[in-house]
Amino acid sequence: MRKFFPVEDLARDERFNQITMNDRMADQRTAITTDSRPSRAANRIVPSRGDASDAARGLMHGIFVGEIQALEGAGRTCWDFTTGEEAPFELKLDMARQCWDEARHVEISIKLSDWMGSEIGEYAENTVLFQAACSSDPVLRLAGVNRALEGLAIDVFTTMKEFGEVAGDQYLEFAEDWMLADEVTHVKMGSDWLRKITENDPERRKKALDFQSVVDKLFSYGGTRSESQESPIGLARRFRELAGFDDQEIDVIADLSLAALEERKAAVLEAQAAHN
Amino acid sequence: MTVEVTPTTFTYVYFDSAYIARIAQRLIGLFHLENHNIRIDINETTPLAKMHIEFGDPIVINIQSGAFEDFSRPRQQSEPATTQSLGRILLKVRDRLSPEFANAPADEDLTLVQVAIWETYCVARLSRHDIDINRQRWLYNFRNRHGFNDASDRAFEKIWNSNDLTWEQLQNISDTAIALVQ
Repeated sequence: MRKFFPVEDLARDERFNQITMNDRMADQRTAITTDSRPSRAANRIVPSRGDASDAARGLMHGIFVGEIQALEGAGRTCWDFTTGEEAPFELKLDMARQCWDEARHVEISIKLSDWMGSEIGEYAENTVLFQAACSSDPVLRLAGVNRALEGLAIDVFTTMKEFGEVAGDQYLEFAEDWMLADEVTHVKMGSDWLRKITENDPERRKKALDFQSVVDKLFSYGGTRSESQESPIGLARRFRELAGFDDQEIDVIADLSLAALEERKAAVLEAQAAHN
Repeated sequence: MTVEVTPTTFTYVYFDSAYIARIAQRLIGLFHLENHNIRIDINETTPLAKMHIEFGDPIVINIQSGAFEDFSRPRQQSEPATTQSLGRILLKVRDRLSPEFANAPADEDLTLVQVAIWETYCVARLSRHDIDINRQRWLYNFRNRHGFNDASDRAFEKIWNSNDLTWEQLQNISDTAIALVQ
């Protein structure tokens, strides 16, 4: 079986259309407004938003394709590295457990999408998640996938769980809560293995944390996730703490996300000025 | 009757104004709105999908680009999405022009619940014109505004299967569903 599988070769049927981060960045439109009035500026996916159910459906589809890629990423980590020399057996065992979880999350996401009235492939699939799982160093994969990406999953699931709770959609609320518990475990696996493997290798740890920072920045692109109500997805501090992030690490992600939001707002102003 | 689409060329999205006009003309004929001049203004700077009507001559329909977009191919136009969005808003135009909806609040005064019942009523009628509609999507939207319970689902069914409701009847179905679970 082939090792180190490129993103372009992921198996998908004709329902899926894949896009890259470059495609996303080429879209100059934005839902973020330069209007600072709270009623206009709030973009958080909450039931009181006018387009709440459509926004939630879109995010649910994003979760669905994210779960597929997380499954593929964890599966590759089990296979791409030799046991013992490149990756400890116990690490692979954790990745196998994660595959089991992600496969179940895919099934749950399909059921929730049906429930919300979405079809598989209705939205584009951004492949950035799997790209973060293509590093040749297992520690970098854990930093990029388990800590940055699964960290984002914690933020997304918390937003969706709260949406279900406020809307009174118990299926959504409970399913997201169960998946959230798994994601906290996945992030914790990443945090624990990162510390363990790089215990005596500060340079490798720094490299991994730098890679995580790059992935975190990519996922914060356009201010999609931050503590501001202007971002569709919030930052779930409490669950991140449970997953092994310390306060300083969470503050760094919060600052990074807020900076991405401000950067996007400045770009919007610039684009508007050019357009007028 | 004239149909105008602005802008005529797009810079943020890959939309075709002549194609949009053709779809609008077909729907205008279907809904017997031929006696009105209609202008469709598309805001291509946002991916959101809000729509708003300004009555006058012409009747102006403001639409954000997400309403016509193929979400699986960002920035590309979707024929089904264009038809569904224009169909919904044109049926709302027709309702607003009829005496049965004379007492409906102005758009800016509609509550989220009122928006949901009216959209359900528009989409349901649209589905009977052989236009492909995902019923579950609109049921989910309705449940979000009326609660996830049997009373809400019965109200949805009633609106979905109706063709000639007045605003008061529509509002009454919704009020009854909400009152039953309070």
